[in-house]
Amino acid sequence: MLEIAIIVAAIAIGSGIALVAGGLVGIGEGYAAGKAVEAMARQPEMEGPIRTTMILGQAVSESGAIYSLAVVLLLIFNVMLPLVNRLLELL
Amino acid sequence: MEPEVVFYIHTFPVTQPLLFTWIIMAAVSIACFFLTRNLKTVPRGAQHLLELLVDGIENLVVGNMGPEGKKFVPLILTIAVYVGISNLIGVVPGAYSPTENLNTTLTLAAIVFLVGHVAAIRKKGLWTWLKGFFQPYFFMFPINLAGEISQVISHAFRLYGNVFGGGILLSIIYMVAPYVLPTPLLGWFGIFSGIIQTAVFTLLAVVYIQIKIS
Repeated sequence: MLEIAIIVAAIAIGSGIALVAGGLVGIGEGYAAGKAVEAMARQPEMEGPIRTTMILGQAVSESGAIYSLAVVLLLIFNVMLPLVNRLLELL
Repeated sequence: MEPEVVFYIHTFPVTQPLLFTWIIMAAVSIACFFLTRNLKTVPRGAQHLLELLVDGIENLVVGNMGPEGKKFVPLILTIAVYVGISNLIGVVPGAYSPTENLNTTLTLAAIVFLVGHVAAIRKKGLWTWLKGFFQPYFFMFPINLAGEISQVISHAFRLYGNVFGGGILLSIIYMVAPYVLPTPLLGWFGIFSGIIQTAVFTLLAVVYIQIKIS
């Protein structure tokens, strides 16, 4: 029972650490948006292409956060919840 | 994460995403049938909206791929309409977004992947297409292969993760504060994020096909 509790705690801590990637991606995307605004202010007639390129770059750089989210969802729903249910049965 | 089974058709389980996929298919088909009756050269009413949509997607595709991309316009338009309605239907109480299920988004990403590679083979020929995997050096083959596969996975997981993550956050907010607070969040995650993710998914589909055929 203690072993299961330790595994559950480790999964919870690991999920929290994995979601740090979301924050880092947030910094990167904000930087990209800021640069895009600067470019638009300099050349307002290029607004359309700049916005398309910005969204494309942000979408690609978001992959890191999406991978971490997928890992966390897998950990929580496929590994942690069955263990928690078993722990509750043992209690 | 298993979807709920709504009812059975002779031992065949009909799950929530499948049911809502059928509903969206029926709604889009009926809307297309009735909105394209007696089209006029000078558009009136709903025809304005349709022409705006078709023109927008056509400009996006042709602007990215050039004139040869015209044959991909129906596919991209279908993906855009389907994903858009799937994302927006999550706002309706009791409805379930098909894009909240990984199977839907993986299927859409796989369709884009296959269409891109088949178009590349037809345009460049089998030999040139195969040689593309060994660029710039022959030992780069595993990396190129992993890049192709991870492209599908990231394309599918981006839409799924955004919609599903928004749904989880909303259900937590519903548990903590069931009144007032969920409404603006529903607008943000359901409508704004849904439209942005539709645009991103469509744009990435266009760019992935364009990278493969060029």
